[in-house]
Amino acid sequence: MSDRIKNPARDRMEDSTLFILMPLLVVNLGLVFWGFGYRHMHPSGIWAYIFAMAFALLGVAFIVIFGLYLKEEQDEFERAVWVQSLLWGIGATLTVVTLWGSFAEYALVKGLKMLFVFPLFMLITVVARLALKLRYR
Amino acid sequence: MFCSSNRPEGRRFVRACWISAALVAPLVLGAAAAFRFYHLRGIAAYVVAVLPTLPILWVLVELGRFLAVEKDEFQRNILIQCVLGGTGGTLAVTTIWGYLEDFAHAPRLDLVWVYPIFWLFVLVSYPVVRLRYR
Repeated sequence: MSDRIKNPARDRMEDSTLFILMPLLVVNLGLVFWGFGYRHMHPSGIWAYIFAMAFALLGVAFIVIFGLYLKEEQDEFERAVWVQSLLWGIGATLTVVTLWGSFAEYALVKGLKMLFVFPLFMLITVVARLALKLRYR
Repeated sequence: MFCSSNRPEGRRFVRACWISAALVAPLVLGAAAAFRFYHLRGIAAYVVAVLPTLPILWVLVELGRFLAVEKDEFQRNILIQCVLGGTGGTLAVTTIWGYLEDFAHAPRLDLVWVYPIFWLFVLVSYPVVRLRYR
């Protein structure tokens, strides 16, 4: 609790999560449920782009909000752990997608969609953060 | 970015980038030729498919090593911010493009493009980060 009071950057991130990311998530979930109908109707043109952007907006907003949090974070240790986690995250993600991409190029595995990159990065970053937290305990 | 670096760590990283760039093209062509003419299968196919990625992955290892050993805090911080900028840009582009593929039937982009996209955003981030410290 005291940690929250002392950390305005995290407060701002939590506010942004609550007031920006959550509504976007609700919109996305709504679109997913309605998506069954959407896919059935096969809309094209501008509507397809609007739907794609509505989904992508959640990810992009998350990136911006987290970037602002990192910029504002005053706790040097917390910031350093996040930065190290992110660096491990991008390094490992690039390694995996490059290897997978090369295998897919020669038809050895099924090609993955670009949409897998973000979740893969998040997964590796979270694992790296847990490992780093353990290391510094 | 590091072409003007006089430190041995910086020079080593730049050298790794140049050697990697020189190796990638012949390895890609060699792997493509091997698949075309020898119809590789099994373990051999995976080994040959990995070969063109090795110089690329080597640059990532050297980047990590450079970040770990660089003593100039300012230069290190700038590079980290560029890499984070590259990360953010790459994730944004892959997410947007992924949904465009899904919904708007945009052309399928192979995963091998993620790596060049990342470096493109790192390069774009560099002048922006430098401007902040002017």
